[in-house]
Amino acid sequence: MYPPKLQNIIELFETLPEVERRETLVNYAESAPKQEPRPNEKFDLEDERKDEECADKVGVYLQVDGEGRAHLRMTLGPEVQTLTRAMTSILCKGLDGATPQEILDLPSDFVTRIVGAELVRVRSQTTYYVLTRIKGICKVYLDRQRAAA
Amino acid sequence: MHTNPTDYAHPEALVDTDWLEQHLNDKDLRIVESNEDILLYDTGHIPGAVHIDWRADLQDQVVRDYIDPKKFAELCERNGIGPETTCIFYGDKANWWACYALWAFRLFGHKNVKILNGGRDKWKAENRPMTREVPSYPSTEYPVPARRFDQEIRAFADEALAQSKAKKPLIDVRSPGEYKGEITHMAEYPQEGVLRGGHIPGAKSVPWKTATKDDNTFKSAPELAKIYFEGAGVNPEVDTVVYCRIGERSSHTWFVLTYLLGLENVRNYDGSWTEWGNKVGAPIEKGS
Repeated sequence: MYPPKLQNIIELFETLPEVERRETLVNYAESAPKQEPRPNEKFDLEDERKDEECADKVGVYLQVDGEGRAHLRMTLGPEVQTLTRAMTSILCKGLDGATPQEILDLPSDFVTRIVGAELVRVRSQTTYYVLTRIKGICKVYLDRQRAAA
Repeated sequence: MHTNPTDYAHPEALVDTDWLEQHLNDKDLRIVESNEDILLYDTGHIPGAVHIDWRADLQDQVVRDYIDPKKFAELCERNGIGPETTCIFYGDKANWWACYALWAFRLFGHKNVKILNGGRDKWKAENRPMTREVPSYPSTEYPVPARRFDQEIRAFADEALAQSKAKKPLIDVRSPGEYKGEITHMAEYPQEGVLRGGHIPGAKSVPWKTATKDDNTFKSAPELAKIYFEGAGVNPEVDTVVYCRIGERSSHTWFVLTYLLGLENVRNYDGSWTEWGNKVGAPIEKGS
């Protein structure tokens, strides 16, 4: 149902007690800078912007390799919340190698399985924002592919 | 206890970052972090600080209301807070949730409460010590408060309506766009389920941020007096009600009016716009 790497992450989180879940999320959040574009990397699409529903600028960079598999990079402004940072790392790692269509078709119910009921809050809804942005860039990519075909 | 050269009505309600760094190990103090970013405490906090979560710790988990006095006593006991402990609150977002937690502690009559002026951002910007070590304090005995002081410092929707009808001071601390009804959520925030935009009739718009400087510390008492007394018609002789969307930004203004300007009759309408903007029949004004 989910791309294998994401499935592994979901299963890991589901085994964790609450304290360790929080620690793991913080660790993922702190590794978010590793998801930034590297020097000389080239992308098929880049989408960096500041939307009203997120606290700071978020950039999404999509590269699709010769086998049609997506590789994502992201940049986050300093005001972006910890949980959103964590979700950025999780999604960049978990969706690496999935196709843009698989990403677009991904149901969002896994977010609560990772974050846990305790941390799901009204104002944590921006956690879903990262997924929305990733899906957005995949949709643009697919639309352009179809238009060019 | 404060070191700020101000003429606030209750300067003892503020501590600055220098002072706190020198008193981290004081036995009669408990530093309390309260944030909007629910994992921020886990990423590092002031040494010795405990974490009190506005929703999981202070609110009832079923009814939209606060915990009862028994649960408050238990919360204090497990955080090593006794009835005489001085609690110093700080947090992100210019101390919104710190002020909210302080206000909630006052709901239960906890006397010794203070705010770290400038909050978490100022502490961090000054490269002061942070740790990930979660402290553990011996459990205290906290007598169950006899009651909650809702009547004194909290307003409900019918009281906000009465305030509006009586044309008494009613301060809307949200952004101008929310006040005017142009948007139904804060910029940069997700929609929190409000059906109507605008403000309570007669409310004056004084965004919470008007009370702070760029480093998130509070403006001086004369500046605050000008903003609220001259600019918004607040009068120490008349009771005032403040509100925002869910009561946290208005807790910030409640703190300013109560502790920095010394008003004794300010109530926080914590139901705020998420109640009023959905309430059947509630009168609304739009525009400025």
